[in-house]
Amino acid sequence: MSEASVIHDIGYQRYDGPRLGRRAVFGAMYIHGLRAAYGLGRSAKSKIFPWLVVGICLLVGVILAAVKAQTGLEALNYFTYADSMSWLIIFFAAIVAPELVSRDMRSGVLPLYFSRPLRASDYIGAKVASMVTAVWLLLAVPQLIMFLGAAFTTKNGISDVWKELGDLLPGWAYSLLWALVFTGIGLLVASLTGKRAFAAGGIVAVFLMTTPAVGVLSIMPSQDAQELAGLASPSTLVSGVGQWIYPTANTGMMIGRFGPVYLIEAITLVAACMLLLLARYRRVAAL
Amino acid sequence: MSTVAWITARGLFGRRRVLLLLPLPILLIVLAVICDAAGVDAREWGAPVIVGLGLAVLLPVVALIVGTGVLGSEVDDGTIVHILTKPLPRRDIILAKLGVAVVASAVTAAVPLFVAGVLADSVRFGLALAVAAALGAVAYSALFLLLSLLTRRPVLLGLVYILVWEGLLGRFVSGTRVLSIEQYVITVGDRLSPATDILDPKVGLPVALVMAAIFAVGGTLFAVNRLRSFSMAGETS
Repeated sequence: MSEASVIHDIGYQRYDGPRLGRRAVFGAMYIHGLRAAYGLGRSAKSKIFPWLVVGICLLVGVILAAVKAQTGLEALNYFTYADSMSWLIIFFAAIVAPELVSRDMRSGVLPLYFSRPLRASDYIGAKVASMVTAVWLLLAVPQLIMFLGAAFTTKNGISDVWKELGDLLPGWAYSLLWALVFTGIGLLVASLTGKRAFAAGGIVAVFLMTTPAVGVLSIMPSQDAQELAGLASPSTLVSGVGQWIYPTANTGMMIGRFGPVYLIEAITLVAACMLLLLARYRRVAAL
Repeated sequence: MSTVAWITARGLFGRRRVLLLLPLPILLIVLAVICDAAGVDAREWGAPVIVGLGLAVLLPVVALIVGTGVLGSEVDDGTIVHILTKPLPRRDIILAKLGVAVVASAVTAAVPLFVAGVLADSVRFGLALAVAAALGAVAYSALFLLLSLLTRRPVLLGLVYILVWEGLLGRFVSGTRVLSIEQYVITVGDRLSPATDILDPKVGLPVALVMAAIFAVGGTLFAVNRLRSFSMAGETS
């Protein structure tokens, strides 16, 4: 300890490149969320569940396209396809939503996120956008396969293709509605707990508990109660909106004259979920 | 052994998590009371409420929460080490935890089902449902306890079993019914109270009893075997 201590210059430099702002953070989180939803860039274990759901959805889509191409029989149209996948969508939401938000809470990285030029609304926005995209792709890609199958085996040339396209686009919009509703509920439930298992259970529980309520309401003696029954569960709510906007969808929902009520509730539900999510993260951001 | 059971019960009921068990039974009773009060025929509301909500959702979900909670939560926070290092046979640990899980889920599921059964038909039907639910709780608990030892994500895998295997495939593919605990419960409940035509059994009684026993005993033995060579894994992906 005799010689005087020396500070060596070992070449540390300040970062003087371009500083990316909120938009870049948003974009990075969106891409990361979308990849995380499908387990891309993660271990093989975390790919099992999402790709199981994707596989089943694709398989059903391919089968439907093949059946229609071979026999001309339309077992399910673009709307009823989304409906019949409803349990898989719920399951997918229960996988993806905890992956997107519960993980961040569990591993305590939220303070790190919010020490960047990132606001609570950006965080929510990126998470919502990536999950909506993930769920929408889950439905839209098989719908596209069904469309291609129908378009390449058409009997009357290009006019049939246009007609088919006219069916596909509302079907895509319908899938977007599914994605919005399920993303809102899924992310809201998942943001309440840091444990992924509980978050997944909670999301599924929301649907498990509301579905029987619809079943019970639809056998009530009053016809109004029967036609309003679909409001009780998110999945029948979405079907009801689809049925009202696009009456040839054949979703099998009896909505009577209450179509606007379904639409209003769907919009309110999505908006309420987003606002609650914002409120939830305002507090975390302040911590 | 009783100490392990006591610790497990305290870990299960001593936290806020126990409140998760409440909404489903309350919903079942509320729906049954509403239907009964509205004067709907029991044959109409019996199927959606008792089978659709009670046996297909309430019983498996409660058993899933409890069954994966008794051991899984200790594996998660690492306190399982304290039990494993005690000079206790692994068999006793599993049996104690399974016992607590069975009692907790059987009570949580049987009480609302009994109330709904009484409202729908008779006390006899209510008792039949309660007994069948208790039997189902044994099989489900053994299965989900085993799952919590086999995988790091037992709740998700259990949900796949409940939703996809029992819910989706059980409805369309008749072969999967032989491996569906829900169907055993329906069969047993129907056999105990044959006069009511709310339950619609799809498998025979011997098949139901034997398969339920295989699930319960096999699950327990496999779980004991797994716990014998259990290694604490770190946090994965």
